[in-house]
This record gives sequence, C-alpha cells and structure tokens, in this order.
Amino acid sequence: MPSNQLSRRKFLQLAGGGAASVVLLAACQAPAAAPAAPAAGGGEAAAPSQTEVTLTFGHHWEAAFRPRQEEFDKKYAEAHPGVKFEYTYNTWAEHNQIVPTWAAAGTLPDIIYVHGRYAFPWNHEGIVVSTQDFIDSDPEFDVKGIWEEALRLYRYNGKQHGIPYDHGPIILGYNKDLFDAAGLEYPNENWTWDDFLEAAKALTVGENQWGYGGYYNTILDLGNETGISFVGPWGGEVYNEEETKLLIDSDASRSAMQWWADLIHVHKVAPLPAQAQAIPAGPWVAGMTGMFALASWGTPTLIEQANFAWDVAPWPKGTAGRKAGSFGSGFGITRDSKHPEAAWQYMREYLSKEGMEFMWGASGRGSPARQAAYESWLNSPGAPANARYYMDALENYAVTGHPYHTLASGEILDICNRNTQLVQSGDMTVDECIANILAEGTPVLEEAAKRLQGG
Amino acid sequence: MSATTASPRRNNGFSLRQREEIDFYLFIGLWLIGFILFTGGPILASLLFSFTNWTGLTTQEWIGLENYRQLLFDDKLFWIATRNTFFYSFGSVILGTLGALFVAILLNQKLPGTTLMRVLYYIPSIASGVAVSILWIWLFNPQVGLVNYLLSLVGIPGPPWLASQQWALPALIIKSTWAIGANMIILLAGLQAVPASLYEAAKIDGAHPWDEFFNVTIPMISPVLFYVLVISTIASFQILTDVLVMTQGGPGTATLVYVFYIYQNAFQYLKMGYASALAWILFAIILALTLLQLWGSKKWVYYEDPGA
Repeated sequence: MPSNQLSRRKFLQLAGGGAASVVLLAACQAPAAAPAAPAAGGGEAAAPSQTEVTLTFGHHWEAAFRPRQEEFDKKYAEAHPGVKFEYTYNTWAEHNQIVPTWAAAGTLPDIIYVHGRYAFPWNHEGIVVSTQDFIDSDPEFDVKGIWEEALRLYRYNGKQHGIPYDHGPIILGYNKDLFDAAGLEYPNENWTWDDFLEAAKALTVGENQWGYGGYYNTILDLGNETGISFVGPWGGEVYNEEETKLLIDSDASRSAMQWWADLIHVHKVAPLPAQAQAIPAGPWVAGMTGMFALASWGTPTLIEQANFAWDVAPWPKGTAGRKAGSFGSGFGITRDSKHPEAAWQYMREYLSKEGMEFMWGASGRGSPARQAAYESWLNSPGAPANARYYMDALENYAVTGHPYHTLASGEILDICNRNTQLVQSGDMTVDECIANILAEGTPVLEEAAKRLQGG
Repeated sequence: MSATTASPRRNNGFSLRQREEIDFYLFIGLWLIGFILFTGGPILASLLFSFTNWTGLTTQEWIGLENYRQLLFDDKLFWIATRNTFFYSFGSVILGTLGALFVAILLNQKLPGTTLMRVLYYIPSIASGVAVSILWIWLFNPQVGLVNYLLSLVGIPGPPWLASQQWALPALIIKSTWAIGANMIILLAGLQAVPASLYEAAKIDGAHPWDEFFNVTIPMISPVLFYVLVISTIASFQILTDVLVMTQGGPGTATLVYVFYIYQNAFQYLKMGYASALAWILFAIILALTLLQLWGSKKWVYYEDPGA
C-alpha cells in the first residue's frame, strides 16, 4: 500500500533532526533533538482506516538507540492508524539464544532481528519465513537496491527470507595522532601489506604502543568478516564455496596465517592476547595502536570513546590483490507471526531507502544495506572523514565472509577461534593450528552437509 | 476438651488420621503437580531427547544410543570438558571447604565484632553471579589487577591469569572461594552445636588444642562437613556463569567445562539431543560421585545417635 508509506519529505525531516542528535546518541544518551514533526498534511495521503493490529518485535537495540526505533514507529503509526507496537529488547548475545527458545515455545514475535550468522540455521529451522512472495508482488520494494552481498546472507533454497538492514566490510582504521607523532604519511589507496608492516614497525614504541591492534583485539581470526580479510589478500581461502570443506591448508592460506602470527611473535608490532586483555577498552580504542581493522559498525564505538583523531583507509593490497570480508544484520518475519501481511507492510517501509536513512544512515549508527541509503551515513557525524572507503570496498572488493550457509557455522567458528587464540598467545604454531582445525572441523562440516541433505 | 472434639469420627465420617492424610495431600498436591509438570516432565523429556537428533525446533529422529556413542568415543571435547570439570571441582571443593572451615572457626571465637564479620563474609554469597564474575575479571587483570599487585608486593611476578592456558582454570578455582560464606554459615552452626562439655572433658584430660580440633571438633561436625562436601561437589560440577562471563571456555580449551559445553551444544549449535545426552552423562557422574561420598562417609562421619 504505497499511499500509506511515510513520505520522502517526512523522512528527510526526521533524518535531519536525527543527524543533529547523533553525537549525543553515540554518547549513550537519548537523542536530545527530537526529529522534526512532519508538516501537517505535507504530501501525506490520508491513511485509510485499518483494523487494529499489534506488531510484536524482538530487537537487540541498546537503551541509547531505542528512542530512535520508537520515533520511527510513532511516525509509522501516524501514517498507519490502528497499528500498535510491542517490543522485547534483548542484548545481542542473549537474543541469539532466546529466539530458538521462543520458537520452541511457539511465542516468536512478528518481526525479529537476525544476525547474518544465524540467518541460515533459523531459515532452515523455519523460524524465519520466506518473504519472496511479498517481494515478488511488491515491485515498489526495491530489493535490487540492497547489496547482493547482504541479501545472500538471508537467502535459503533460492528464496529471500530475512531482509538486511546493515552491511559493512572490514577496512583499515588508523590513529592519526600516532601517525603524526611518528612523522608517517597516513595509509592510502596504494598501500600494500609491506607498507603496512613498515608503518607498524615505526609505530611500535616501548611496551605500550603497538603498530597494529587487530580486530577487536584479535590479530589472527577466521571469523565471518575477518577470515577472508586475513587470508584473501594472499590468495587464500578459508572454506570452499559450498562450505563443506576447509581450505586453510593451502600454501596461500598457510603463509597468510603465518604472516599475521608473525606480527605478534616475530615483528612484535601487535600485542599478545594477555597484553590486549589487560586494557579494558582494548588497545585500539585506548589509542595505543597505530592501526586496527575496523568494520563500519565499529565506528560508533570510536566516536563515543576515542580521545584521538582517527580515520579509515582501504584494506591494503596483498600479493593476490585487494580482498576483504563483509557482513551484516537484518530482520525477518517469523513463522509465529499472527499478522504477516502487516509485518511485511512494516518491513517494506522500515527497510526502504528512507527507512534505512532514518534508522541507520543519518543517525550515524552504521552502514545501511542499501547503496542509495549509504550516502546518508557517509554524510552523518557518525562517519569518519574517509568513510567512503567502506562503500568503495563493498562496490569493488569486499565479499560476504563464509561460513553463512552451513548448519555448523557456530561450531566451526568456535573450533577456529579456540585454535587461533593459542597461535596468538604463542602456545601453538600455525601448522598445528591448521592441523587441529582440519581434524576437528572437517567432520563437523561434513555432518552439517549431511543434515542439510536430510541424511 | 469437649465431647465433640474428642470424638474420633466426624466431618463426613473421616477419622482424624484420614483427615490429616487428606490435608497432607492437599498441601503437597500443588507442589507435586508443579514438580511433575515443570521439573519431572522436562527431566523425562530430556532423557527421550537424548536418543534423538532434535535441534530443539524441528528435526527429530530416533537415533538410539548414537549420541552417547559419539560423545564417549568420538568427541575429544567431551573428555577435555570432563577433565577440566574434575580439576575445577577438586580444587574448588577442597579450597572452598577448608577456607569455609577456617573462617568458621575464627568467627566461632568469643571475640568482639564477630557478628559483623559473619555478615561481611556472608554478603558475597548473595551478590549477583555475573556482577561478581566481572569484578573478578578486573581483579585478575594482569597489569592493573589487585591479585597481581598483591603478588608484586612479595616479589612474585603475577601470571596473565585468564589469558593464560596454564592459569585460567586455577584462576576460576581461586575465584570460587569468593562464595565460601554460605558454607561458612553452615559450618559455624555445626561448630556451635558441639557441646562445651566435650571440650571441658578434653581439657581435663590434658588435650592439646590440636587434639581437641582433630578428636572433638572434626568428629562432632563431621555430618555437617559431609553435607558441605556433597553439596559443594554437586555445585562445582555445574559451574557455568564464571566461564560464560570470564573466559568463554578459553584460552583454547583451558576452561571448557562440562555445563558450558552442554550450553554451547544446546543453544549455540542447536544440538538439543546431543546436549541432553551430555546432561544425562553429567547426572550419572554426579550421582556416582555422591554415592562414592556416601559410601566413604561411613569411615569418617560420626553420628551421635546412629539409630535416630
């Protein structure tokens, strides 16, 4: 029902007010400046009367972001009389365990937050239902305007289930103050990993300043967004396309993993896990590392906490070119939804260009999953000066990081994590790590593939 | 007493004994229904699930003993989790029980301020598990933590604790002493129940304080000590919160404990059938250990009136 949508004008008004409040939002406070009220009758078609519908939600927003959500819903309710909202706000970690228990009890809300890693198993288990029919019969919902790398996370058996709202790659973050102090030029588009290493050495000073701080303190990691970022530039892969096989024992993957381990143990330009964990905020947020891997959703943390100047640059080029991983989150309509039609009506506006601009773009929260909405984030106070490099990565070299279509993603990621942790602490060699991951992980992937085939 | 109340039969012909039985079942009935529905039912269901490949949602096929075969013969992590849990249990029960006994003895002295000290020692036991775990992450911080600071005062360079494969599990054992207050209260009650006349008799016989402790105190509080040991052992095998908050089972598998492994399988990998099998193996382990303790108790636990 296009006539019921929030008008573009209204959204721009809302977004304008939201942009002004982003700095305060990042400081964990409710937006001080409420979004401007829509002009009376300003282009808004009279909404037809509807029967009363209460849409229920399973969100993961922290307290500071909830006013933004509720503001959107207030405006939505104004445009759609009769629609009411009920929320359950979980923490991110709890949400992923709570949803299966809701499903087992038959009490799923109408719409739930779905992280990319959980999309496939939840689609497989029928927790999230297909939205393909809605999409097919709703040409005004511009599904092609969403990054393909984001959509693929939510596709199951060829049908779109969830719809992504946020998608971002990993690129290189850097501490401008430390670069200035070392008299170094900032990272640029021509950087290779050799340039990175040279800079990392120059930026390492004493025992409390390192050239590189990793991704959330992790130097070597084979996670969704990190795995391909760490081995891809050297031509390595972590999984085959079907995710039935691990490929980390190739020469390229092996040498890439060794390169990252050497940053800690040979070049000593990255902290040991014990050193990183000793700094509660993490060395990168504390301003103790010259460079760090930074996903687009990590920028609000830096805006909120960093007391140094920082920016981003492209992920450096390796011997096999430039390659990075990307990942994201979305929303899905559940099998227990009592109002799937109303839920879709909501989703199509919530995840429209204007909806994404209001919720995640202009608010500075993070990188919207629509290319057209990305600009609103790039222009928001929540984005670093060179945030355009995030879009550049999505357009040119970032790929969705495996595993995302195996039923064993949680298990295989834990296996990788357990072993790479020990490489970082110096308790295990890269060769031992690879051997262990293969030994433990291969049967897990094979068994998951068998389950998928109904075997 | 009036003639009516003395009558053995009234109220529709029920005898006093029958009325009391009815009252008993009425009172216990609500609890019994709750137990059967909310505890007994799930227990029985989990036994059935352990013979299936249930994901907790859809897939559910009867696979017989396959889960048990797999975890006993194919699952390396099952054995690592079991070994880690035994290690943790042994360390935390010994340290916790001896610590609680030591503090209980100190607080059993007739000295000013002991009442306040009893409260202070007990308070940690009622603090929120997650909050306490976060507090201990700070205490174990290798650079700014209190533990390594205290060690540095005596010239010992502290280890990286939670980030160390060798020290992460011992760190959790040390952390477990935080909650000795609950056992301390129980042991204190046991100590206060020891008749003073026994100590007087021991003194008259010229007993040394150590003799009093080993020949009067320990035998007299041995039933309480036994209770504390059994309960602490059962609780230690169920450690989860500390691992969930402080280490997530790492580094590597250094703190992968049994219940955390059940949690991972059930809620993170959606292998509810496998997790149910793990839970029943844990039940068997705890039951065997408790029976072993019961059997062993005959050799050292002293009951004043065995016929009672």
